[in-house]
Amino acid sequence: MLIAEAVGQQYRETGWFGVLFTAILVSFLLINIQRAKMGKNLYIRRIAGLNAIDEAIGRATEMGRPVLMVPGLSDNVNAIAVQAINIFAYVSRLAARFANPILLCCYNAAVFTLAQEVIRDVYQEEGLLDRFDPDSVRFVSDRQFAFAAGVSGLILREQTAATFFLGEFYAEALIFAETANSIGAIQVASSTEATQTPFFIAACDYVLIGDEFYAASAYLTRQPVLVGSLVGQDWSKLLVIALILFGTIFNTITVQSKTTKAWDDDNGVYKDVSERQSDPKQSFIQQLATPFLPKMEVERPKDPEAEASSK
Amino acid sequence: MNLFLQSKVPNFWAQPFNSQGIWMGVLGGLLVGILIFLGLMFMPAQFRRPVVAFCTFIGGAYWVLLYIFPAPIDLQKTEMPTGPVESIGKWLTDANPVVVSISGTVTAFMLGLGIFSLLSIHLKRISRRQKDWAYSVILLVSLVSMAFFGYADYISRQGPDGTKLDLQANWGFVNYGRDLLFDGLLQQMDAAMFSVIAFYILSAAYRAFRIRSIEATILLSTALLVILSLMGAVAFVWNDAVKNMANGNDFLMNFQLTEIAGWIRRTFETSSLRGIAFGVGIGALAMGLRIWLSLERTGGGA
Repeated sequence: MLIAEAVGQQYRETGWFGVLFTAILVSFLLINIQRAKMGKNLYIRRIAGLNAIDEAIGRATEMGRPVLMVPGLSDNVNAIAVQAINIFAYVSRLAARFANPILLCCYNAAVFTLAQEVIRDVYQEEGLLDRFDPDSVRFVSDRQFAFAAGVSGLILREQTAATFFLGEFYAEALIFAETANSIGAIQVASSTEATQTPFFIAACDYVLIGDEFYAASAYLTRQPVLVGSLVGQDWSKLLVIALILFGTIFNTITVQSKTTKAWDDDNGVYKDVSERQSDPKQSFIQQLATPFLPKMEVERPKDPEAEASSK
Repeated sequence: MNLFLQSKVPNFWAQPFNSQGIWMGVLGGLLVGILIFLGLMFMPAQFRRPVVAFCTFIGGAYWVLLYIFPAPIDLQKTEMPTGPVESIGKWLTDANPVVVSISGTVTAFMLGLGIFSLLSIHLKRISRRQKDWAYSVILLVSLVSMAFFGYADYISRQGPDGTKLDLQANWGFVNYGRDLLFDGLLQQMDAAMFSVIAFYILSAAYRAFRIRSIEATILLSTALLVILSLMGAVAFVWNDAVKNMANGNDFLMNFQLTEIAGWIRRTFETSSLRGIAFGVGIGALAMGLRIWLSLERTGGGA
């Protein structure tokens, strides 16, 4: 037994493999960020949904109607919300240059505060602070369908020309997308919730699927740190694919190598047939990721104060 | 001297409720918060970024340590940790609710800013009699009345007589008011918005399933098969017909509607969703790492 498993509860449940694997992924990211910083030219494939951002803003400018952005329903400032706001910062920068009005609707007050600061900074960096309307970034509601109703109302009243729905979306995804579609707005969308992606695909013009959402800021800004990180993500995905292939082959070999005797009616003899494992937890790969070691008793001194207070 | 080698570590995080220690901690935290806030306000902009980066790193480091540092195995409240590793592990575990509370407190302050934003937008619209200003009046009246009745109802339910309010016969004005606003209006309006999705699904599905390309045709056929497999009568008739035709042939039995739909789900849907989940997970890890180490430069520089 490893030392970590002997002293750590989490290592008895999920094993050391998760930590090791995470460490490898982190090292991939850091190595590639360093490579990109050193000037290595790293390739990023074309992503149609991101190319459409410029087109959408251009269309909104031509029509003189606002661009609407929604950073999803994150319950707090998390990686998804930050990524969405990063993309919106790019959108706002272009909108600021073309003097195009923007609307950024937030579900969470913390995300609202962050978004307002970031968008104001964008206008300031562009030297166009006078064009920034603090009310363009607004907190609508932290109740799912009240938020959905509020944003839909805004889309209809303001007749937005372009809409960007990027982040965590749930049941309200289709309400937004269909409302925007009904007024002919060009839509770029992405949900980190896989269950909502089909709705966006059905209703929106361009959809960023899965990790394309995280590739967006690297793709748009070409900052070395982001591009390096993106290549690190690709390395990580290759490792995951290799692990899946290894697991499949290894499990198959394990299953096939276990045999049992079965009666062969045709020849009237017992013959060796492969025995399927009844419990998947017995497989090597499963035990590597989730060992579920038996409960361990540890002798410890009692705390008299805690014992007295518990009585 | 290794402080963690003591048999009983004074636990900063797990102070008893209403003790002097916890009040000192609250006051100390408030003071430190105000100092950081003032410090950041008056600090030259070029020094602000390293301070924010340092705070972000410390905050993130706690969660990384909590994830990788061995947590004590089955440690009971009445037991003391046996050595330095267990003591540090217990210290980190005990800190968890406090750290979560800190982020909750910060979020609560942010909610105040959110409400300020709402008031600013809608009061401006009312005072300038802008288009649709009547909706702003409704919003503000709803905001104030819901906050009043919600809080008054909460207060009335505290104390020894609070349980009496479980019976509607004992309700007063504020309880009826809250019931009308929350259960009578808000919940119903939520349900109405949710039910609108059914119609949107129909219109979106119509556009998505129109046969325009090979992909759309494949999408239409698979969706049709899965939808039909969920319709009990259709699935029964189809399966029965296949069983009769197959006449015990194992291969033909695979063409039962429920089998085909199950194969589509298991083989294509599950694997696709898992592929997307892997990509999203790795992307979130990369994003988290960049934020933690302050490698991310926000602002979408173009």
